[in-house]
Amino acid sequence: MAAPSAAGLGRRLRAWLPRMVQVRWSRYSPSYLEPEAKKELYEKPLEELTEEEKEKMELKAVQPIKAAPPTLSSSVFNDPMISKFTNMMMKSGNKVLARSLMAQTLEAIKRKQLEKYHKAPENEKETIECNPYVIFHQALKNCQPIIGLSNITKGGKTYQVPVPLKDNRKRFLAMKWLITECRENKHRRTLMPEKLSQELLLAFNNEGPIIKRKHVLHKMAEANRAYAHFRWW
Amino acid sequence: LDHGSALHTAAKDCLSSVSSQDVPAERPRAIFHTSESDPAKHTEHHEGRLYNIPLEEVKAVFPHGLPHRFQQQIQTFNEARVMVRKPALELFAYLRSSNFSHPAVRYVIYGERGTGKTMTLCHVVHYCSRQGWLVLHVPDAHLWVKNCKELLQSSYNRDRLDQPLQASVWLKNFKTSNERFLQEIKTQKKYTWGKRESTEEGRPLGEVVEQGLARVRSASDAMGVVLRELRQQCHRGSFRLLVAVDGVNALWGRTTLRKEDKSPVSPEELTLVHNLRKMVRNDWSGGAIVTTLSQTGSLFKPSSAYTPQELLGKEGFDALDPFVPIPVPNYSPREFESCYGYYLERKWLQHEKAHTEDGKAELQFLSGSNPRQLDRLAGPL
Repeated sequence: MAAPSAAGLGRRLRAWLPRMVQVRWSRYSPSYLEPEAKKELYEKPLEELTEEEKEKMELKAVQPIKAAPPTLSSSVFNDPMISKFTNMMMKSGNKVLARSLMAQTLEAIKRKQLEKYHKAPENEKETIECNPYVIFHQALKNCQPIIGLSNITKGGKTYQVPVPLKDNRKRFLAMKWLITECRENKHRRTLMPEKLSQELLLAFNNEGPIIKRKHVLHKMAEANRAYAHFRWW
Repeated sequence: LDHGSALHTAAKDCLSSVSSQDVPAERPRAIFHTSESDPAKHTEHHEGRLYNIPLEEVKAVFPHGLPHRFQQQIQTFNEARVMVRKPALELFAYLRSSNFSHPAVRYVIYGERGTGKTMTLCHVVHYCSRQGWLVLHVPDAHLWVKNCKELLQSSYNRDRLDQPLQASVWLKNFKTSNERFLQEIKTQKKYTWGKRESTEEGRPLGEVVEQGLARVRSASDAMGVVLRELRQQCHRGSFRLLVAVDGVNALWGRTTLRKEDKSPVSPEELTLVHNLRKMVRNDWSGGAIVTTLSQTGSLFKPSSAYTPQELLGKEGFDALDPFVPIPVPNYSPREFESCYGYYLERKWLQHEKAHTEDGKAELQFLSGSNPRQLDRLAGPL
């Protein structure tokens, strides 16, 4: 767990050829193993394990293991997208509040859809989606932009250049737009779960202000097609 | 239907006795439902099952008193299903075998947080209203000792304080639930409300309630009159009286109210609390007093307190002593299966993993078979 020594760092800096310089580093030494949360791997009897799995188990007996982060869960109901969204909603580290708001939002979506379901005639019942997780994932997918804009300075002027977005960036933009929309454009007295559930249901049906924002971004990218060749990556 | 082995073994001995009653006129309901909607006929065979209360009856019997989450559930599922549990069945047995010429027996329902005390009380209220009793239901006594915007000095007694808003709300709900009794019972004394208003002797009690609703200033006094009349006329036997108080530990605790000179108000100084304390004493006969302890709304009590001694304090315990304690535990495995199956059937559990055995085991573990925790966990799933 020792930090890279000053001498080594100096040697690397002196002979600086295009090699990678370590930017993000971990307090753990390389011998530390990741914690395993999946229960199935522990429930397997010895005979079913393959050679490499047996080796890994033996290694775990001797090597130290890193501390489990709070987001790591062995629950069957754990969903990484929901966790990411909850983290983005969190303010000043109040995860308890963020998580309860998320739970209330999902419950609100479920109640609205179930009321609609019970009032609908028989033939329309299959079209109504009651699962809040399916609605959440589909709504986020509908909000993701395909193409984004990036500021590129050329000849002293900054141009908005259309640029393909990575998956992570798309997901981040969808979630960010959803949260900012729900924080700003609502009546002072409406609570977050109510507004969020409303926006998610609208986005699920491809309506609503966030889908509009996505379309606006797409139109701007389309309008700036001429500058697309400024991109060099 | 796959509800686990526990329910299957129980189902075998239940099915023979229940099938004679649950003749499926429509499609056969699942094993955890029962079509017996009269609480008087509930026995141990119905334990762990859910019975339906028709929605019109809910509006008539429970204008107030049902927990908020249960009301939301009624609206979402479009039906009111209450689980039949052991503490309620025990209470029914006591009520059936009680001698009404003796002084009223006091029952105190206690238990940890979220185990179903208020729902047990509501089940008892439904039973008594079906039997034709007069039900005096105080939904939450804690609402009378905190967050009161208006406190008036009582005109009847200088030292006491009136709470017009709370009293008028209670009178309105009392009127909804006990319409027919208000015409039958007559006053025994003349009551003067002010310079020009008075109620003569022999007028129906409904007039006193109307007076309280019309003149909100005298609503607390009207409530006191109603309680007094009911207490004095109950021993004659023309009607049975059930006094159902939720959160009875509020009557002997502390309040967060203050007088205009910022001095704290003690519960005896409130008219509503004073009258209710007299009601909960066992000096009248011809009915029963069923109360619930509640830590959730209580003031200045630690959250781990749930026993009568802790929540009532010395004063309250001495006032309520002797009483019959009725503990309400968490869900038994059979009740948990029943509740889980009901959520599945009503499509409340939407997560794919919630339908699996792993999901069920996780729900049972995380909630600890506590009804409220299970409800809160199943909400977002």
